Amino acid sequence: MSTGDWITFTIDGREVRAPEGEWLLDAAKRGDVDVPYFCYERKLGPPVGACRMCMVEVEGMPKLQTSCSTPVKDGMVVYTQTDRVKDAQNAVVEFLLVNHPLDCPVCDKGGECPLQDIAFGWGPGRSRFVEDKRNFPKPIALSPLIAIDRERCILCYRCVRFSQEVAEDDQLMFLERGDHTFVGTFDGRPYQAPFSGNVVDLCPVGALTNTAYRFRARPWDIEGAGTICTLCPSQCNVELTIRDERVERVEPRDNDAVDDGWLCDKGRWGYQSTRPDGRVLEPLVRDGGHLRPATWERALAAAAEGLAKAGAATAGIVGGQTSNEEGWLLQRILREGLGSPHVDARAGGPLAPSAARRLSHPNLAAAMPDIDRASVVLVLESNPLDEAPIFDLRLRKAVRRSGARLLVASSAPTALDGGATEVLRFAPGGAESLLRALQKALLEAERASDGGEDGSAGAPRGHAELAGLLAEHSLERLTDTAEVDLTDLRDAAALLTQAGNVVVVWGERLGWGARGSGALEALADLALVLGLDAAEGSGLIEIPASVNGRGLREAGCVAGIGPGLSDTAAGLTAAGARDAALTGDVRAFYLLHNDPLREFPGQSRWDEALRKASFVIMHEQFLGEAAVNHADVVFPAESYAEKEGTVTHPDGRLQRLRPAIGHPGEVRAEWSVLAEIAHRLGLDVRRSVTAGAVLEQLAEEAPMYAGITLDEIGGRGVRWQERPAGAAAARSAFGELGFGPAAEPPAPPSAGDGALRLSTRPGLWASWVTERSPSLRFLVSGQQVELSPLDAERLQVASGDEVQVRSNGHSVKAVVQIRDRAKRGTATLIEGTQEGNANVLADGALVVVQVERD
Amino acid sequence: MSTGILLRHVDVPDLNRIETYERVGGYAALRKALTEMTADQVLKELEASGLRGRGGAGFSMGKKAGFLPHGDIQKYLCCNADESEPGTFKDRELMHRNPHQLIEGVLIAAYAADITNAFIYIRGEYEEEADILDAALTEAYARRYAGDDILGSGFGCSLVVHRGAGAYICGEETALLDSLEGKRGNPRLKPPFPANQGLYQGPTLINNVETLSNVPHVIANGAGWFRTFGTERSPGTKVVSVSGCVQRPGNYEIELGIPSRDIIYGLAGGPPDGRRVKAWFPGGSSAPVLTEEHLDLPYDFEHMAEAGSMLGSGAIIVVDDSVPIVSIALRLAEFYRHESCGKCVPCREGTNWTVKMLERIDRGEATPMDLDVMADVQGNIIGNCLCLLGDSMAMPVGSMIAKFRPEFEAHMEKAVLRQAAGRVGDGTESPISLTGEAA
Repeated sequence: MSTGDWITFTIDGREVRAPEGEWLLDAAKRGDVDVPYFCYERKLGPPVGACRMCMVEVEGMPKLQTSCSTPVKDGMVVYTQTDRVKDAQNAVVEFLLVNHPLDCPVCDKGGECPLQDIAFGWGPGRSRFVEDKRNFPKPIALSPLIAIDRERCILCYRCVRFSQEVAEDDQLMFLERGDHTFVGTFDGRPYQAPFSGNVVDLCPVGALTNTAYRFRARPWDIEGAGTICTLCPSQCNVELTIRDERVERVEPRDNDAVDDGWLCDKGRWGYQSTRPDGRVLEPLVRDGGHLRPATWERALAAAAEGLAKAGAATAGIVGGQTSNEEGWLLQRILREGLGSPHVDARAGGPLAPSAARRLSHPNLAAAMPDIDRASVVLVLESNPLDEAPIFDLRLRKAVRRSGARLLVASSAPTALDGGATEVLRFAPGGAESLLRALQKALLEAERASDGGEDGSAGAPRGHAELAGLLAEHSLERLTDTAEVDLTDLRDAAALLTQAGNVVVVWGERLGWGARGSGALEALADLALVLGLDAAEGSGLIEIPASVNGRGLREAGCVAGIGPGLSDTAAGLTAAGARDAALTGDVRAFYLLHNDPLREFPGQSRWDEALRKASFVIMHEQFLGEAAVNHADVVFPAESYAEKEGTVTHPDGRLQRLRPAIGHPGEVRAEWSVLAEIAHRLGLDVRRSVTAGAVLEQLAEEAPMYAGITLDEIGGRGVRWQERPAGAAAARSAFGELGFGPAAEPPAPPSAGDGALRLSTRPGLWASWVTERSPSLRFLVSGQQVELSPLDAERLQVASGDEVQVRSNGHSVKAVVQIRDRAKRGTATLIEGTQEGNANVLADGALVVVQVERD
Repeated sequence: MSTGILLRHVDVPDLNRIETYERVGGYAALRKALTEMTADQVLKELEASGLRGRGGAGFSMGKKAGFLPHGDIQKYLCCNADESEPGTFKDRELMHRNPHQLIEGVLIAAYAADITNAFIYIRGEYEEEADILDAALTEAYARRYAGDDILGSGFGCSLVVHRGAGAYICGEETALLDSLEGKRGNPRLKPPFPANQGLYQGPTLINNVETLSNVPHVIANGAGWFRTFGTERSPGTKVVSVSGCVQRPGNYEIELGIPSRDIIYGLAGGPPDGRRVKAWFPGGSSAPVLTEEHLDLPYDFEHMAEAGSMLGSGAIIVVDDSVPIVSIALRLAEFYRHESCGKCVPCREGTNWTVKMLERIDRGEATPMDLDVMADVQGNIIGNCLCLLGDSMAMPVGSMIAKFRPEFEAHMEKAVLRQAAGRVGDGTESPISLTGEAA
């Protein structure tokens, strides 16, 4: 709507400046004029004008105008305080209360209710309505998570619009009409959707309430504590509602640069996993074969002793829940304290420091809001809904609101396929060929438009070599190898060629597996071919496979990569350390927030490796099998509500975790536990006196964080690419961007006739968070195997059938899910489920599976 | 009627068959437009004719078509055949008797506005008319009057008859568009207006059945000929549906500007002997009521507006002195409450509240103060709603309270007395029937 030009208009006699075309209601706020409203909500897109609360008088217009849908113009004269406006406001409030039960004393919304506030501020003060009010059974379950009280509902459209136009789950709708209208779902089915909880926040009355929070507190009983949700890489900004040192609720703390003010249901109800029930609340030490509670002194001494004994034969594995400070301290313990280079935070194998630097180069970095303005978004080897749900909403918004074209290139179906202009479904392991094919098609198009010039003039170094290499391969061969249709690929390339701003949202998984590094190099080359380095608002955003994947990499927690993505002594990857433990070359593990049995492929080998290791330290919130069977020392881990420190958002934004509640039991700040162990191993930790001080030390070693402090990060976070010091330091440390060493793309693994390749994917609900949060337990996912219709037909299985997926003597029970867009020849299982974990079968390389009816 | 335009041939047997329609001159206008005239000339002719929309708003049809943006952009035409206004049944007869006249009009209008996709959105209850239109359309397609390359002119336009699901609100043009798109039929905010962003976001021309049925005649005979009918500002004829307390209810094609009395008494025979006109709706049930004193006003857009009402859909409902005004108000309010879409607050809650107050008045549980509240509630609805549905109840109900307040008060008093005598509230039906005076 807004044209960007600033205009002057008059409201209640005052001159106010506003961008032309801004909705009058928003423009009024610039002049400190509050216009009451119910249905308008900026986040929901275009206004609907349903509640009629925001009517104002505009000179020259005979009727009152809804300010939520009137664009402001230069010279407009607006009145919000005239008798006409007041009469209309009184009328609307009176109408709204005609069917509202006015049960404020027993309503959860009481005290934080826009209807209460507006009725008080803009209503007539008394009602002339003496008839019977509308009755509905109340409250009833809209879903296991949300209760609906239809008597309180004022039919403002917000929840319905969210469901239909933001989450696009299309479940909530208005049923019946007139004064019989009510919000519901088709056939009264439960409103079960990944983002359902947002409707509770949107509801301006007490109609939609959070089942878990009902009757828990009044607004004056609670405190709000702002922090970051670290249950997935989206790292949404949240405000925890605290009553008596307990988290009772999670609400978004709107930050358009991160989350647009939305939360997924895992983030909204996952706070229940912070409750002390069932958590490890004191240090545990193995004693007589069993883990037993121990004093901190004893546990710390045992930890230091065990680590010192294993020395350089120790491997540290860092889980995604780890903060930057904790990660930095752990890599110091390993590298400096024990002389071991074996630190890793990735499940997927090696990452070349050069590739990490190329892909993190500030010139190639896109920010979250760039997605909103992109003309084409390429989603590459990621299903954001499962990996970082808020990205899914952001991408839908780009398509729906800004008309961005979406290109999905992935080996497995994604939730975004339906809205994509083009879907390239490639073979697992075929990413590198696909990316090279795209480059070749793009270069050809470029040459065609340049009239035969090779287009390399002014291109980054290595352009000619890349073009030379690609010239040796035909597009047909590359697309055959990737198993994508040549026409589709050309269409995708054409889309990219014509695009303005391009943002590539890619999943860390692209770089996993045997040819992962090749795929990453190919991705960086593609970015250069597309010229993303030169275009403002274009760039790459990686969705890491773990919550703080980016921060941990930049803090130096990846094998061979030191703080600030520097080169450092090569070390073993997680899988490498596992295999080394089997041969006795690694004798101790420091597992910081990581349970490899659940999270990493090759479960049985991990089990064996941990059994063989002489010493295992873990930091755990809840005891898993790995801890129970193998840990020698277990330190209680903090929940995210207790943690202090920083994490780094996928787009490079450092965000601050602030403790919202005290530590339960004997739990201590983990950065201090790590500092204490470092001290006991002889390191100088005199400066590590607070989490903020640890950050300062990390910032000294990581050039892109240069000079950053907790104060600067504040409540909104700060992208290091946007800090002149950080960006400049990174540019000089990373060097000039150029094309990578072009390598021959490989043939993707073929399973052979009749067999299926195994591919694995994360599942939104396949997580300890779901299991440990009572409200979410009904969502705990069983194992599903996704098959293409053709494969299912060949195997004679139907959706819903129970099957065994077998490989190498292991087997997993799963329910068949036939998906039209699944890749033929591939069986996809979910990683990290409680039952039938795909990691039993997966081991990081090609696995051929048999699917048999149970 | 031999002097009519639209109903001229309605008594010809089998007029709904294409052969018959062609025999009385049908599709000549389409042929003329497509083979002898440019689209612009057709548009100019329509503008020159002064043909005004017959759906209620009375806006110049040619101008409306001219608002559509030009150029290579997907545009749509929707014929509004969701004739749902109580008392209005003119479109039904036009479609029932002469479906090809409408089809021809749609195609000419589409040609004029360079539209290649047209729809006739017909209310769900008009099953028979929809079947007739479908059959006629099949014939039209077979003779290449519709579809690709019509009559070899190179112009093509698809035409689809879409049946609504039975909601009054879908006659509101933007709700019609939502419904046609497969959504819940709710009105949209305006702007954007359909001429800029209508069906599937494309510029859309929406016209009423009667309006489009006039188009072939304007093109066949010229704007000058058309202007010989009616008045300077309201040229052409108007099909009025006369119903209620008259001896010969039905559709009459008149020239706008004749005295209202000539329609109600002259054509429709007036109320039964011994009865007098107490009130009349000049333009469908949503028009404020007029009384006996307005009977000599010329029946046209301007005079009806001056009298505080409107010509609307051109449906005259006559109420004679045997009918209690409260029952009319209640029946009307019930209709609009039932049909309110529920989207905006004043309409949803105001129609509901009004019905409840009227029921209370009828039951003898109200006082004259309630009349003031009710009148005030009508005022609170008018002008505050998203679309016109709320006003459509509030205007006539408000006008009834204003013009018949003594009758309302007398009605209340009687009902109170009856209640005191224990004759109501025993669970049996109301002693006041909706069509006759109470016992």
